[in-house]
Amino acid sequence: MDRSGLFRTVVAAFLAVGLIGAGAASAADTPKKGGLLRVGNLGEPPALDAHWTTASITETLTNHIYEGLYSLDEANRPIPMLAESHTVSRDGLTYTFKLRQGIKFHNGKEMTSEDVVASLTRWGKQSVYGRILFAKVADFRAVDPYTVEMKLKERVGIVLISLAVPNNFGAIYPKEIAERFPPQTKITEYIGTGPFKLAEWKPDQYIRMVRFDDYKSRNEKASGYGGGKTAYVDEIRWIPVPDVATRVAQVETGELDFADDLNLDAYERLKGTPNARPIIGTPYYWLVAVLNKKEGLMTNQKLRQAWQAAIDVEPIMKNVAGGKPEFYRMDSSLAFAEVPAWHTTITGLPWNEHNKDKARRLLREAGYTGEPIRFMTTQEYKWMYDFALLTKQQLEDVGFTIDLQVMDWSTLVQRRNNSKAYDAFTTGIGNFFDPTHHVYLTCIWPGWTCDEDILKLQDELAREIDPKKRFALWVRQTRQFYEKVPVIRYGDLFGLRAARTTVKGFNEKTERIRFYNVWLDK
Amino acid sequence: MTAYLIRRVLALLPVMLVVLTIVFLLIHLIPGDPVSVMLGPDATLAQIQATRQSLGLDRPLYEQLFKFYGRVLRGDLGRSYFLDRPVTVALLERAEPTLVLTACALLVAVMIGVPSGIIAAAYRGSVWDRALMLGALLGVCIPGFWLSLNFIYLFAVRLGWLPAAGYTSFLVEPAAALRYMVLPAVSLGFNQSALIARISRSCMLEVLQQDYIRTARAKGLSQGATICGHAFRNALVPVITVIGITMAILIGGAVVTEIVFNIPGLGRLIVSAIMRRDYPVVQGVVLVTAAAYVLINLTVDLLYAFIDPRIRYD
Repeated sequence: MDRSGLFRTVVAAFLAVGLIGAGAASAADTPKKGGLLRVGNLGEPPALDAHWTTASITETLTNHIYEGLYSLDEANRPIPMLAESHTVSRDGLTYTFKLRQGIKFHNGKEMTSEDVVASLTRWGKQSVYGRILFAKVADFRAVDPYTVEMKLKERVGIVLISLAVPNNFGAIYPKEIAERFPPQTKITEYIGTGPFKLAEWKPDQYIRMVRFDDYKSRNEKASGYGGGKTAYVDEIRWIPVPDVATRVAQVETGELDFADDLNLDAYERLKGTPNARPIIGTPYYWLVAVLNKKEGLMTNQKLRQAWQAAIDVEPIMKNVAGGKPEFYRMDSSLAFAEVPAWHTTITGLPWNEHNKDKARRLLREAGYTGEPIRFMTTQEYKWMYDFALLTKQQLEDVGFTIDLQVMDWSTLVQRRNNSKAYDAFTTGIGNFFDPTHHVYLTCIWPGWTCDEDILKLQDELAREIDPKKRFALWVRQTRQFYEKVPVIRYGDLFGLRAARTTVKGFNEKTERIRFYNVWLDK
Repeated sequence: MTAYLIRRVLALLPVMLVVLTIVFLLIHLIPGDPVSVMLGPDATLAQIQATRQSLGLDRPLYEQLFKFYGRVLRGDLGRSYFLDRPVTVALLERAEPTLVLTACALLVAVMIGVPSGIIAAAYRGSVWDRALMLGALLGVCIPGFWLSLNFIYLFAVRLGWLPAAGYTSFLVEPAAALRYMVLPAVSLGFNQSALIARISRSCMLEVLQQDYIRTARAKGLSQGATICGHAFRNALVPVITVIGITMAILIGGAVVTEIVFNIPGLGRLIVSAIMRRDYPVVQGVVLVTAAAYVLINLTVDLLYAFIDPRIRYD
């Protein structure tokens, strides 16, 4: 073979390899139906009733079975889901929703306005967000089989976002189910309109969801939690695996295709696993110390300001994130960066000051004489315990006396409802999509933020409908937050998940996992 | 024998009553609230109060206790708050995995423990004796979760021989069920074999010093025939007791093993129920476990008579 012949052969070989490679890549990127997707999660849901609980595991599971009138796009703005469109009357008091036609429930019945009215009325009595919205609703009724009308007592800017939140959401059930189960009783018949239907629930073993073949997808492109949804896999099997090390091992061995809620120290190990990949879940929580403003030491604003001035957030976050910068973010905004409509970048806020002199001065002004501050935390969530422990050290450096009380989570969530039992507790603040949904700024949640100025601004935010004016109010509320210090805002913490490389099409940008539009390349 | 049996079964009733009362009071008096856990972190106080009322948790404790007695007398252990099904159903669903794990782990424990004890006693002071008792010491000392996780890493992740975790019923897929059961049974059985080995050794040593053993040897019987034919059966009574206790412990919940290997058994159920403050489930599992303890003890006592003809209950 001469030199030009050899050259042609080599080029041809490269082209052939390239084409085969490209063919293989495009085959992997082409969605295909079929297969069983096994997902390992932390535990059992307390209910599969979306109206009933704010538990995040219930949110994740129920969003595969049910849908609401609205959903959230990739920028976490409301977009229609079961609603076709809506109109608002000139006075802003009447919302008329046109429903999509031909939407089937899993029992074969067509969804109509009667189902929507029954479901949202139930939701309005039980859900955190439903109760906030329905406090402003004068009347909610079916106009015709595909139209519902919501009359408000006053103009509010929270109608669409309340109907779109994915947690404790306004899922549409068949009327018969919504009416049979009173709001305080969780439903036990699971019929929705979502792309998957519940096939079997064996507690502590698995929850099986199978593709709903009559699912009618929206025509738009998938976006965030909404848009077009296709159930590619035949079945999702949610397997509770309580031990986190076992969840990691099962992804490595291929016994699970996906695992959620992993410890951050598994990150390096997963990066080195050939058939699996780690996924950083953003956002997860911003860490928070909730202060008891109903009674006790923390009713003193100067003392709360001293706590805020004393803490050095970065080393705390670094430690909680196991030293990995990929897993935390320094941010003072009360809304996550993933919610651009409400994310603020205000400079000069008294956040992460770590100013010991200022803290000591505020302690003196507060008249604090070293009384122990009861700070409740738990070891069930390692990140909570870690940040509480580091906070104790930093606060005691400036003169606080912290009585760190470690208990199990169940005890903590009970005791935090008793204003006599504590001065502060740890928890995490998840994603809220509207300023009026931030529970720590309300008087009905532990910690009891009943400050008149804060509530007045919350009320104004609920009533204002102009987005620009609402944002200006939110900036004011953020400044007010750092002055009144109802809770202590630390940094943003991210979570860790893992998927086998055969799992394709997974949207890594949503806060909670979703498996519609996901296929298996096996 | 029959009269003895009736006496023992009747004695079960006051034991159960005491167990029921103590468990009821303990679980209700420790802090924690099932409703706050179920309704999630953002639930409001009004929601929590309304749900507590609908579950009857706002009623005085004595009222709840007497209602509980009444239900138990009717054979109703109540309804799980969290799992939303009768406790008896939840218990029955978890009984099979726990019983299978108990049987397999017990088999492993006996197969390791009894021969180790016999060999160690027969060759007292030898390298075999020391090596086997060192193994037994390790079995006692090594934490179950550590051994389990290392087994998973070695046999599932690195070698890929066995699944890391999970459970399938032997009635559905026997071969797969066996594969799932190997690692948990071996890790749990190894831990439990330690006590059996040590007790077997000491009982055998005691018997081997008896006159009739010396006589057997003097008659020219081989070591094997002496140990198997004469010594072992006479050493069995305490060994059976230990095996019985081990079985009761395993039924009560091989908690760590069930969690690490993701086996949906009674141990995992009670841990979850305690964390969630699912009072009816905690009470149900403890009741069943207490009954299992008593019944196993009774069975062991009855077995003595079969093993040792000198023991009579009449």
